[in-house]
Amino acid sequence: MKTTTILISTALLAAPVVAVAQRDVPPSPGTPKSFRLAAPRTFQLANGMRVTLTPFGTTPKAHVRLVLRAGALNEGARETWLSGLAGDMLVEGTTTRSASQLAEDFASMGGSLFAFAGADETSVGAEVLAERAGDAVALIADAAQHPAFPAASFERARETRLRQLAIALSQPQPIALSTFRQAMYGDHPYARLYPTEAQLKGYTLEQTRGFWARNSGAQRAHLYVAGVFDAAAVEQAVRRTFDGWARGPAPLVKPPAPVSRRQLQLVDRPKAVQSTIAMGLPVLAPSNRDWIGLNVTNALLGGSFGSRITSNIREDKGYTYSPFSQVSARVQDAYWMESADVSAEHTGASLQEILREVDRLRTSPPTPQELRGIQNYAAGIFTIQNSSRSGIVSQLQFANLHGLGSAYLTSYVDNVMKVTPTDVQRVTQRYIDPAKMTIVVVGDSATVAPQLQPFGAAVP
Amino acid sequence: MPHRRWTIALLMLAASATSAGAQAAPTAPLQIPIDYRTLSNGLRVVLSRDTTTPTVAVATYYNIGFRIEPRDRTGFAHLFEHMMFQGSRNLGKMEFIKLVQSNGGILNGSTRFDFTNYYQVVPSHVLETMLWAEADRMKGLAIDSTNLINQQGVVKNEVKVNVLNQPYGGFPWIDMPMAANTNWHNAHNFYGELKDLDAATLEDVEKFFRTYYAPNNAALVVVGDFDPAATWQWIERYFAGIPAVPQPAKPDISEPRQEKERRKSRMSERAPRPALAVGYHLPERYTPDWYAFGLIDQLLGQGRDSWFYQELVQKRALTGDVSASPNDLGNYYNYDGPMLWTVSVFHDSDVTAESIVSAMDSRIAELQSRPVDAATLERARVKLRSAFYSTLEGLNGFGKADLLACFALFEDDPALINRLMDGFAKVTPEQVQRTAREYLRPTNRTIVQVLPGAQAAAAGVPSQGN
Repeated sequence: MKTTTILISTALLAAPVVAVAQRDVPPSPGTPKSFRLAAPRTFQLANGMRVTLTPFGTTPKAHVRLVLRAGALNEGARETWLSGLAGDMLVEGTTTRSASQLAEDFASMGGSLFAFAGADETSVGAEVLAERAGDAVALIADAAQHPAFPAASFERARETRLRQLAIALSQPQPIALSTFRQAMYGDHPYARLYPTEAQLKGYTLEQTRGFWARNSGAQRAHLYVAGVFDAAAVEQAVRRTFDGWARGPAPLVKPPAPVSRRQLQLVDRPKAVQSTIAMGLPVLAPSNRDWIGLNVTNALLGGSFGSRITSNIREDKGYTYSPFSQVSARVQDAYWMESADVSAEHTGASLQEILREVDRLRTSPPTPQELRGIQNYAAGIFTIQNSSRSGIVSQLQFANLHGLGSAYLTSYVDNVMKVTPTDVQRVTQRYIDPAKMTIVVVGDSATVAPQLQPFGAAVP
Repeated sequence: MPHRRWTIALLMLAASATSAGAQAAPTAPLQIPIDYRTLSNGLRVVLSRDTTTPTVAVATYYNIGFRIEPRDRTGFAHLFEHMMFQGSRNLGKMEFIKLVQSNGGILNGSTRFDFTNYYQVVPSHVLETMLWAEADRMKGLAIDSTNLINQQGVVKNEVKVNVLNQPYGGFPWIDMPMAANTNWHNAHNFYGELKDLDAATLEDVEKFFRTYYAPNNAALVVVGDFDPAATWQWIERYFAGIPAVPQPAKPDISEPRQEKERRKSRMSERAPRPALAVGYHLPERYTPDWYAFGLIDQLLGQGRDSWFYQELVQKRALTGDVSASPNDLGNYYNYDGPMLWTVSVFHDSDVTAESIVSAMDSRIAELQSRPVDAATLERARVKLRSAFYSTLEGLNGFGKADLLACFALFEDDPALINRLMDGFAKVTPEQVQRTAREYLRPTNRTIVQVLPGAQAAAAGVPSQGN
């Protein structure tokens, strides 16, 4: 049994205030309050499954989430979306409960069962009224361990996926992201966001059931409960319904070797009034000591409303509405990416300004004042992310997936505050190199192709 | 909205009902503390403490939405919202945004049918700074034509990314109000025609601000971990001196009772599958019918146990999901006029719209022909209550601030938030049946379709009537 305490400091340093002659100056912030979350309690069952219970808040609801190390990573080259299809089937009933019964049971708890697969994990859970948390644990256990995989539901689920696939690929943002991932990850499963239609049509019930059977089990599972609940009752429900689960396989470890060089791809979208840009490159994994420095750098560069890239291409130039940069992580892997939908006629200018902002940060460090504002922002966002049941679970889930240990969360704010202007410049130089970026543009080729010439030879 | 279109998740309210088959007693209903005062200049202020985390949500709501924007300036209410981030007397462009972010907070604004809102979620100790900043821009803007031209570019890009470059852009949230309503205030393109956005002038901006952005047309809400005495002092200090402005009479935004089914379809070259939405005019707010309809929404449209999901997905496999919403741009509570309940699905081309509508009708008929059984109604109430809690918590306390602001602004009664449950508790199976008969009439509905194909084939020639 392991007990950790998450202590989040909101002791941000006072933000700089820009004083201009003849203007009133904003009143200075008061004294920060400290923020101590109730301690999460983690324990392990004999079969290897881990459980983390976190009391939080006063709203009489509980978030219950079973996280399994099974996702796109576990799919073969011709199995894209098989993990998603398996997740779809978990809501279609168990060996003792029909889909309708399962839906009604969850509804009577004030919740609805969710089951979805990501790159590394599948999450199965529900958010229910407080007094029903233990019942929800039992139902989730049933859905994960004894799914029925009814044939009729499978046909429909596959048809639904075919429709979702067609709709996703009619939108420029999914096209841009999947092209970006493909260009960077090559043969690794992280490259494959969408199957072909023919591939999806070929998936069978047995294949899907087989995927779940091969990839689920206690050893790969971590159950999280956060919110208002009776801890003793929940623990009892966990032991009663999960103790008998087979250990199953150990998590698969298969880190990618992403491409890190300038590549330019233009995907033609005839007559598109905007170009959708996805550009970036592989960076470091979350366990690296520069991880927090990189995240602070990202917030300053493009990851916040007041960031440099957003200030430039939105608030100065008006080229776009929602530009955004992010650091996106998978197991032993992450990339930095800027995405933006820009007016077609400003595609080249937007790329130029984005790269110019990257170069500017590589050339000179930010002022201590600019950095201080971003550190406060990053620390504040972290507190806000820890201010909801699902947010707390997601933070714990992230730390566990990447093996960061409990200190990651408790010392996060302190580490954010330790980042220096020189760190930001160094991290940008080391990890965000324009020469190594993959640039994907989805747009009207006739308008856009000439604008892309300065950025490399475009592969259609 | 300055950044991304946010939509509050589902919503609704429920009674302190015992959940069917519950093994433990349900927790007592939440009672939300409310301290409500109106300043001498007419500003309505609500404080509600919640010390779960050391943060506060500050929400400022103006009683001006896109229903009553100028007729030759579609999209202006929303464009104006962007201007509120472009500079005020003591905070230049980007300074408001940086003031919030550099103090560890988040911010946004949005324009809806009946209000425009601005909010921040910040660490508690920054509350006074936020109140000062919000008061500063209520006092006046300091912007120039460069700011306006810049934001016209940003807003046009917003319309492009959310509508014009999307296969189903505007479905059903712009399409349905335009098709189902007859009063211009409810039926125009509120995101704005690009030419109208281009036509906006600084004079328009100034006039709009002078007219509507007055304290007596606004509500200020603070939710979270704050000191009440100090907070009231700050609010008096920063807001009380802002002068009231006489407000123009509100135009008539009512919709007549719909007597005939409407249909409208458009082609979209980029859409790979048909999309279908069916919209019904909702009962007037806070009437017995309205409370009953809140439960009908849960019963027919929300969750996998709902009758529409069971019929359309589980039983007939006509689609993979059914989405139902009593307000496509918000929730069941944050509006002040006619509203539509919209059910939408995406389906394959070999499934006809008629088969989907008739499957829905079969379950509606069940609701109309006899009183619903007690257990099913009870389950709807439990779902409602649970969804309501989530609505209140949305965005770290902002969801609660949203409802308090709307109830202060529209009803002069923020305490309504604690009484809504009583209304839903009183709904009987007979009331549900009566409400279904009146409001789920085919003649009260509008069917909107987006069909795959070249626009030339059907653009601008919606088929009307049936």
